[in-house]
Amino acid sequence: MEFQFSQREDLLRKSVREYAEKEIAPRKDEMEETGEFPVDLLPSMGEMGILGVITPEEYGGTGMGHLARIIVLEELGRVSPAIPMALQVHHMSTYALTMWGNEEQKRKYLPPLAKGETMGAVSVTEPSGGSDVAGMQSVAKLAGGKYILNGRKCFATNSHHSDIWVVPARTGEGRKGLSAFIVEKGFPGAKVGRKEDKVGLRGANTGELAFQNCEVPKENLLGNEGDGMKISIRDIVECGRPGMASVALGILNAVLEQSVKFANERMLYGNPISSLQAIQWYISDIYSDLEIARLLTYRVGWMLDNEMDVTAQAALAKQWSCEAAARAARKGIEVHGSYGILREYSIQRLLRDALVAIPAGGTAEIGRLVMARTAISMFS
Amino acid sequence: MRVIVCIKPVPDPKYWNRLRFEAKTKTLVREGVPSIINTLDKNALEEALRLREKVDGEVIVLSLAPLDSISVLREALAMGADRGILISDKIFAGSDTLATAYILSTAMTKLGAYDIILCGDQTLDSGTAQVSTQIAELLDIPNLMHITAIEFTDEAQFLVKSQIEHGYMLVEIRAPMVLSVANQINEPRYTTLRNILEAEQKNIEVWSSEELNLPERLVGLAGSSTQMGDFIFPPKKKKAEILQGSPEEQAAELTDRLHRLGFY
Amino acid sequence: MTDVAESKIWIIAEQRQRELAEVSLEIIGKAIDLAKQTRWKVAAVLMGHQLNTLSRQILSYGVHEVLVADEPMLVNYCNQAYVKVLENAVKRFQPEVLLMGATALGSDLAARLAARLRIGLSAHCIDFELTEKGDLFGIIPWLGGNSLCRISCPHTRPQMATVIPGVFQVPKMNGIQGRIIPLETHIEQKDLSYHVLETKHVKGPQSELEMAEVVVAGGWGIGDNDGWKLIENLADRLNGAVGATRPAVDESWAKEGQMIGTSGLTVRPKLYIGIALSGHPHHLVGVKEPELVVGINIDPNAPIFESCDIGLVGDYREIVQSMIKCIDVQYGGGDE
Repeated sequence: MEFQFSQREDLLRKSVREYAEKEIAPRKDEMEETGEFPVDLLPSMGEMGILGVITPEEYGGTGMGHLARIIVLEELGRVSPAIPMALQVHHMSTYALTMWGNEEQKRKYLPPLAKGETMGAVSVTEPSGGSDVAGMQSVAKLAGGKYILNGRKCFATNSHHSDIWVVPARTGEGRKGLSAFIVEKGFPGAKVGRKEDKVGLRGANTGELAFQNCEVPKENLLGNEGDGMKISIRDIVECGRPGMASVALGILNAVLEQSVKFANERMLYGNPISSLQAIQWYISDIYSDLEIARLLTYRVGWMLDNEMDVTAQAALAKQWSCEAAARAARKGIEVHGSYGILREYSIQRLLRDALVAIPAGGTAEIGRLVMARTAISMFS
Repeated sequence: MRVIVCIKPVPDPKYWNRLRFEAKTKTLVREGVPSIINTLDKNALEEALRLREKVDGEVIVLSLAPLDSISVLREALAMGADRGILISDKIFAGSDTLATAYILSTAMTKLGAYDIILCGDQTLDSGTAQVSTQIAELLDIPNLMHITAIEFTDEAQFLVKSQIEHGYMLVEIRAPMVLSVANQINEPRYTTLRNILEAEQKNIEVWSSEELNLPERLVGLAGSSTQMGDFIFPPKKKKAEILQGSPEEQAAELTDRLHRLGFY
Repeated sequence: MTDVAESKIWIIAEQRQRELAEVSLEIIGKAIDLAKQTRWKVAAVLMGHQLNTLSRQILSYGVHEVLVADEPMLVNYCNQAYVKVLENAVKRFQPEVLLMGATALGSDLAARLAARLRIGLSAHCIDFELTEKGDLFGIIPWLGGNSLCRISCPHTRPQMATVIPGVFQVPKMNGIQGRIIPLETHIEQKDLSYHVLETKHVKGPQSELEMAEVVVAGGWGIGDNDGWKLIENLADRLNGAVGATRPAVDESWAKEGQMIGTSGLTVRPKLYIGIALSGHPHHLVGVKEPELVVGINIDPNAPIFESCDIGLVGDYREIVQSMIKCIDVQYGGGDE
């Protein structure tokens, strides 16, 4: 077991940190105000290689793997957690294509997604419920060489900024009756619907996708008919959950940094409050939350890079890290005292960001169900 | 075109308060303080990369530094340099600028032909701004400092802008030469993920005093004519009056005084 | 018959288009003063073309002699040519001490000459000392500390140092008593290793700062661009210019031309306000003889509080915001 990062990973972290501090930091207040993702940064993100970090090199990516991806998202999240929220869903679309797409689909869609010419989204959740994937109601009927797609997807990240969507829908009965499709925003009958106004992670756009007799070419079926459930679940487990855990890492880093900086500057009784034991306990709690979340999340990255099954560990990393982020942000607010509840201090923003991160990519309850199943099977 | 860039790892200014001075050897103890590429050297490297984009060529990065600075060379390769050479040996420690220039210029001669040598005007930690000029003298080639723009008409003839107090000079200069750059010259590029991967295929060599064949008396502390003496702790020049009260009260008191003194 | 120079302390005077750099006179003044305790005389060395008037002008500041290399090919600065002239003069007359200003030109010339002569160089000094025995010590601020350090070149001769502009006063003129000694140049076309096409004078933030009566300077503790805008607003209210320390320039809040200190500008304001900066010698040495120095810093132990007249300990944002409010509300801001 080695608990050290490689030279490559250290250099990667340094590079992304520099990019984040120079390009994203000046935009984060505006993102918070407007709730808009800075799409003009997509080309430079593409140039950096951030968008194609898990896309194979032959399709324009850098193929650096899942642990590298986590480092990238963590460093971006340290500056603005909304950015990795948006990018991790973008990665989910590239992951779905890489894992289950055929050669033509990969050649067509992966390069522009890696370059930042367009963004991707994966939209599973429907008004009927996100936790109940098998219960989805969107339908795709094969007719005249095309699939006609009808239905609505909600809580889709990147809904209004993306052009390439991975959309599962019902082609048959039961769990084996779901299929996944690559839908382009420009296809007739595809529409974006309402934009949600979230209390946190505001710079990541969330909204509705609507399909009214949307025409999807036959060659845009991802995998085979019936693969939809497998594709959706595995994309969420192997890409979405580590992605959300990385968002939480970003939040945790920011909470620790802001809390320590504030505690070192704020004077009370003639000394900085960082010298007070009560404040030190808060800071140590935040620190331990960060370190634990890091270990859980990095491990998932390593396991994925070594082609191991991560079902339980990804659920754990995601569920634990997001709840830890909320817990730590709450303590960060306590450290700030009355300043913690003022808008002009960004610590309160981090709590709101963490609250939005918790249900995204799998509610805490689903996470617990997944882990329970694994734990029970260990001794049956 | 062959461009050689000199880079120096310097202690990250964010952590300068962690630096300790060892009185016996009169050297800076840098343990625990992370290093960065000297900011002006990054500008020099960026300029070299831009030159290479205009004309086919090779960018070689040279650094005289302790062995653990190899990560700094890797970063330079990740920015786009083709080859990196770390010159490291215990006997080089404590070299003043002339000894440093001597070591570096010997390495450059060993490399063979070159067109331009690019450096940053000065380092964050020493700030002497001498090494680039002294390299040029030892190689007997022309040099210019404070460069804010480089253009060339053909690969041998260059037109450069050199900053002076209150203005600049436009100078025609021929290769081979040494140019040291000011920070206004460019904005260094980010190291992309692709570059990081490509850098791993590139070569970093380590040269010790053996490869360079330098007489001991000309390098290190032995070869340094400029020496550090003792420290002076300047006496408190002023007895400050510390204002009392809340920030608002202090501000009010100060602005009141400034007004009475006629400053606004 | 060629005259023999008698002086052992030489100040390499800087001129551009026959305008003398003030730093050369500043160093001449200090050198004449220090030379009194040694047996040595002080000379100025001048290189260029059509230098009669300038040579006589320098004589009137009290140097024993002015060594002049006057030659059409030397009209513009070219370091290798100037070094050749100096090398020959040094070899001929064996001075003990060489001094010049740490300017754009001086830093380059001194470095090249030191390498040519294989001697040491104490660069960017904020002061210098000369013992009775003739040992030269340069004083420099030391990195990361609140102290200064002596540097010297004990084993090589001549001893050379460059001094930053603005440290000493320009001496008084006292009538011409010295002599002018022409230097042989032996300069050929091939010695001119580059060709200055044009020298342009441009006004920048630098000149604004150098002439300002009020300077508000910020450092690392400012923290971000918003904070920087705050101090710019304060400077605006006081009709002052904004200066910076090295970290503020590195963070791109301020431009290189706004940096004050050993590696930057020297300013001479009446009022200097140092905000969220440590106040180390590197920086403060660039602030010359202000009437009033104010320091604002969250850390009561910051070195700035040992160098200011009025100190405010606290969060600069709160203090500066309040100051701006006070100035606006009560005094209508920016009165002449």
